Amino acid sequence: MSATVEMLPISENRTERTGAGSGVEAVLVKAVLDGDREGFARLYGLYAPLVHGILLARVPRAEVDDLVQDIFLHAFKKLHTLRDGSAFGPWIAMIARNRAVDYHRRSKESVEITDEMRGSDTHDAKAAEILELIRSLPEAYRETLVLRLVEGMTGPEIAARTGLTAASVRVNLHRGMKLLRERLGFLEGL
Amino acid sequence: MNDDYLWDKTGEPDPQIQQLEEILGTLRYQPRPLPLPVTRRRSYFPVLAIAATVLIALLGTGLWLRVHTNNQPAQKQQAHVPAPSPTIVEKDSTTIANTPEKVDPPRKQRRNRSNQSALSAAKRREREEAIAVKQQLMLALRLASEKLNLAHKKARIG
Repeated sequence: MSATVEMLPISENRTERTGAGSGVEAVLVKAVLDGDREGFARLYGLYAPLVHGILLARVPRAEVDDLVQDIFLHAFKKLHTLRDGSAFGPWIAMIARNRAVDYHRRSKESVEITDEMRGSDTHDAKAAEILELIRSLPEAYRETLVLRLVEGMTGPEIAARTGLTAASVRVNLHRGMKLLRERLGFLEGL
Repeated sequence: MNDDYLWDKTGEPDPQIQQLEEILGTLRYQPRPLPLPVTRRRSYFPVLAIAATVLIALLGTGLWLRVHTNNQPAQKQQAHVPAPSPTIVEKDSTTIANTPEKVDPPRKQRRNRSNQSALSAAKRREREEAIAVKQQLMLALRLASEKLNLAHKKARIG
């Protein structure tokens, strides 16, 4: 890999988010393949929260940010292998899930919640604790719950970006939330 | 439980979900610039230049071989001009039927001389053609080599 890097300024906002899943990905992917680096910056802005959420549901918090960047760099290099540009979301989601599996395969030791991961203040500590509860849920629920509760996406947004059907996202959200409420009963002050 | 709020944040907000959103929101993705590697567009110029060189060399060789093989049969034909067999002058008239026809010595010499001159002219022509083809080939190779150098320089600069 070339040692030279160019920092792409990324701005992630709600207006960009709404573009996801509406066919804009195909245009952006084509533009990137034609040499438009700004196009990739937009894809990064659109999909970084999704990748972040997928990873947050699976790997330690401290590793997530670096892994997000690794995944997007990998995607940038392998973008030419993506046949259907409109499937960018499901494609990068799959890369993120596979990367999380690789992470656990490489670091075999069990990851414990450290003080750093919990956060310094009580608010952060509570967030880390709830996140751990979500992570203990079945895989199908934890990803949708993190995307909904942490990343702030709506159900239709989750469906559009992951390529899952709206019905299955809705079911996962409903059942996952029910399980989470049951487990949250053990937490004080919530 | 308000499913609409959980689904698309519409309808009456669920206080427990709102509380969860507020707490977990601190873990939300924080935008960071992405360090993309600077990639150069792959240039096919050097590959094309090499391909062109090989093509030119092949064409030149083919041309040279063609000229060379075209001249060879003529040369062979000329070389196989029946050499006058030794004249056997039979004194016996009965054996005359088997002997080659009598050749007039000066005429024979003239024919030999003209054969030799034709042969040497053909050889000269062939040599000239070979030299011309060789020169063309050398020129083509020189051009190709210059193109390659240029491509190499461009690739290094680019």
